Amino acid sequence: MEIMREFLGKVRLYLQITHIGGIVRRYFVMNGFDGSMTALGVILGAWIVGVENPNIVVMTGLGACLALGVSGFFGAYITEKAERRRHLKNLEDAILTNLEDSLHKDATTFAPAFASLINGLSPVLMAITSLSPFLLAMAGLVPIWTSYTASLALTLATLFMLGVYLGRVAQENVLLYGIQMLTAGVVIAVIVFILGGA
Amino acid sequence: MQHGIRRIVLDVLKLRDPPLPELAMHLSSMPNIEGVNISLVEIDQNTESVKIAIEGNDINIKQIQELMKDHGAVIHSIDEVAVGKKIVTI
Repeated sequence: MEIMREFLGKVRLYLQITHIGGIVRRYFVMNGFDGSMTALGVILGAWIVGVENPNIVVMTGLGACLALGVSGFFGAYITEKAERRRHLKNLEDAILTNLEDSLHKDATTFAPAFASLINGLSPVLMAITSLSPFLLAMAGLVPIWTSYTASLALTLATLFMLGVYLGRVAQENVLLYGIQMLTAGVVIAVIVFILGGA
Repeated sequence: MQHGIRRIVLDVLKLRDPPLPELAMHLSSMPNIEGVNISLVEIDQNTESVKIAIEGNDINIKQIQELMKDHGAVIHSIDEVAVGKKIVTI
């Protein structure tokens, strides 16, 4: 318990030093949104062509979102590492000392790892949420057509909740933000249904 | 009875993060330290010049220097040191 508290205290201190909280929030929403939209595209596409095997939907959706996750992980890691190194050098210039053995160096190592973890996990998490009804279909618990409806509703709800979260961050109308995000999902749905000639 | 250093005042240049309360809390949690006062002298884009007064019993300067280094701070000068049974003020 004591170790856990010490660890959390360190994490809090690193977040404070690097001011990475806002950046991580952006990463979470942006890549989470990408994950949801990708899963939505896969689900709607499969629905239109009448895929009846839930394995195909799950593996296609998960594969696409895992690729997004891995790309998000490495992209954020390299970018943040470069930015943090530059910032550390600026701080060293400002204080005219080497910060190699300081909290700032540790925080500089922590920040890219934390940001990349969030950026990599968020699309996978969103995709698993969207695809979870198909996991039930794979287990034979629900018919696949119920999974399609449930999955569409879940994905739209996830998009709405991402908007609500952004609304809370901005301390503005959460409903408005939720609807804005939801609109993106509805637009994709309409386009896919039109393309599919439904 | 040896009392060691009981009060020390330092002129320090530190980075703006971690902020003053955080540094003060970390200093005060060190062994033999009973009280800490940090006052801001000057503020810059990335740095702060501060005066740090520390009171306690047998204060270990080396440990304080280590903590400062760890927190991205540099001791410019030791402006005041009080030792002995009684703290003498100028």
